[in-house]
Amino acid sequence: MQDVMNSNNHDTALAMKFSITKDKLVENVNHVMKAVSSKTTIPILTGIKITASHDGITLTGSNSDISIKSFIPLEENDEEYATIEKTGSVVLQARVFSDIVKKLPSEFVNIEVDSRLITRITSGSSEFNLNGLDAEEYPRLPLIEEGNVLHVRTDLLKHVIRQTGFAVSTSETRPVLTGVNWNIQNGNLNCVATDSHRLASRTISIDADENAEYKNIVIPGKSLNELSKILDDSSGEWVEIVITESQILFKTKHLQFYSRLLDGNYPDTNRLIPTESKTDIILSTKALLQAIDRASLLAKEERNNVVKFRTLEDSIEISSQSAELGRVFENVELQSLEGEELKISFSAKYMIDALSRIESQEIRISFTGAMRPFLIRPVEDEGILMLILPVRTY
Amino acid sequence: MGFHDLAKQQKTVSRILTNALRRDQLAHAYLFEGPKGTGKRQAASLLAQAYFCQTKNDDTIEPCQECVNCRRILSGNHPDLVWVKPDGKSIKKEQVSNLLKEFSYRGVESIRKFFVIEEADKMTAQAANSLLKFIEEPSPQTIAVLITEQAHKLLDTIVSRCQTLTFIPLPEAQIAEQLVQQNISEPLAKLSAAVTNDIDEAVDYCHDEWFAKARQLVIQLMEGTMGQSHSPLLMIYDQFFPHFDEVHKLDIGLDFILYWLRDILAIHLENEKDIVFIDQIDILKNQALKSSMQQITGKMSAVLAAKKRLSANVNLQSVMEQLVLRLQGGSHHAV
Repeated sequence: MQDVMNSNNHDTALAMKFSITKDKLVENVNHVMKAVSSKTTIPILTGIKITASHDGITLTGSNSDISIKSFIPLEENDEEYATIEKTGSVVLQARVFSDIVKKLPSEFVNIEVDSRLITRITSGSSEFNLNGLDAEEYPRLPLIEEGNVLHVRTDLLKHVIRQTGFAVSTSETRPVLTGVNWNIQNGNLNCVATDSHRLASRTISIDADENAEYKNIVIPGKSLNELSKILDDSSGEWVEIVITESQILFKTKHLQFYSRLLDGNYPDTNRLIPTESKTDIILSTKALLQAIDRASLLAKEERNNVVKFRTLEDSIEISSQSAELGRVFENVELQSLEGEELKISFSAKYMIDALSRIESQEIRISFTGAMRPFLIRPVEDEGILMLILPVRTY
Repeated sequence: MGFHDLAKQQKTVSRILTNALRRDQLAHAYLFEGPKGTGKRQAASLLAQAYFCQTKNDDTIEPCQECVNCRRILSGNHPDLVWVKPDGKSIKKEQVSNLLKEFSYRGVESIRKFFVIEEADKMTAQAANSLLKFIEEPSPQTIAVLITEQAHKLLDTIVSRCQTLTFIPLPEAQIAEQLVQQNISEPLAKLSAAVTNDIDEAVDYCHDEWFAKARQLVIQLMEGTMGQSHSPLLMIYDQFFPHFDEVHKLDIGLDFILYWLRDILAIHLENEKDIVFIDQIDILKNQALKSSMQQITGKMSAVLAAKKRLSANVNLQSVMEQLVLRLQGGSHHAV
């Protein structure tokens, strides 16, 4: 019986065949597994797509919201990773495939697919025969048009994500606010996120075609979070960004990260940002952050985590109280104070979120009264802007 | 399946959809409404194919069935076709939130998206309300199809935002006739035509031994409840329960009982061509003599009440016990 089946196997044509070093395969399977979810409604997405072409091997994983493509070149830095005998592609059950490759005995892995998509994985003396799925069934990721590519330094991109992604809304009532709105114009990239109680905005200049203009590119906050985890910290590298009608692609040397975009119009946030101010203060970022953090120790015991803030002559007083626990007062020295006296209350959490994402030593906070949103900006303006809506208590 | 197949049974629906496709004027939301087995799901799948097909015939609007998109729609792997059907008795909260997410994202492969919600009446009012917004102001390339057998159970606000297409069942007589042409005995053909509107399903029933046996058991039971010869209660424990051991099976059994009673009513009304249990006409006539129309309709409402209790998850045995007692009770009063 065994013999009959084997001879049948030989009869069917070879659909794909390559060999690869195990370490490289495991490393790249791990990359794409980050996009694979077991809770998908589309059966084919439980698999990893493996494509062997003449220049290397590409793995793809996706949960339809994000997709990750990982490329293994035949050789790099005089090290040989893979040899291709027959180009082709197949989709294999992701969970099983990733478990198998991790535990294979030898340094090298051979993968061979026949025309019925039966996939033979051999390594050392071990042999697996898996039922593959048709790669034609796999979603087609948008093709990249080389023309409209933007370039951003990896570390800068990670910064931008860190400085805006935290402010996205987590409520589904206005889905478009769960994303970060990107606008590209005149070689500048502006990213805005808001949950309608606070807003974070960052503008950087990017390396793009002068005429490149994109509006209302809303990238889900979750996707940016995942992207940030995947991007390598070694600075100096560049990320290429391509925007299509439905997806955005971030491309590093061997990784491609796709995210679907959010549908709908992002609200015009410019008119939320006050243009004048009645009270302007300049103070140390760190001192304020620590003082708010301490005041929040009591405030967060209360339901709303609100701290009070009052200007004195050359300092400010931060206070909060919990009906059960007691109260706290702290004075923070100011570098400068201009304008009217002010008493205001705000969420300690929002303030901590915003301050902890500003790297500059000193910040300027501009108030326009106790009921209006206020602005936090680094003194040497780096294109960062944080806005917080106050809470009514005084 | 193509639009020409759809047109065989659903002429109007097929015409409306092909015209809309030809003029590129698809509505953003459709409500496919009609009884079971009238091809609503197939029509939704066909419409999705026509929407995504890459090599659609421009004149006939028939999707090619061969391109990657057509094939993936049939296999359930098209990433921009979101197909939701109740997981058990209702559409779960998790399914609704996934649906909302899909509505708020752009497509995977293009900006075109297609949504199908099967048994849309099984959404909670809250879920339906959260969908309203998307059905009301969808993005231009989004199409939603809601499928239901019970349009009256949907919120008015949903219905008013959809273009309703009604799927009509083939007349029972026509299905039965087609079955008889396929060498199926008339009594069986008539019963399966009464149970389903789907000709393929009807053929399956006719070749199913369970179905034939179920028919025999119901005849036996109905003889028992109306005569005094043998006790129907004993019979349901001995034979009925082992055979009708699941909710959907018992539901079919209750339908049979209903047809039996309807047959008696048909004899009263001298409408003998509508009789389903055509080979039992003597017994039916005999029972018709013994009971008034009022008693029969009383029994029919007892069966409907039993069906309702069944769908409310009442224990199968207690549903049947109560029903048999009520069916018997009716005839005892008559004596």
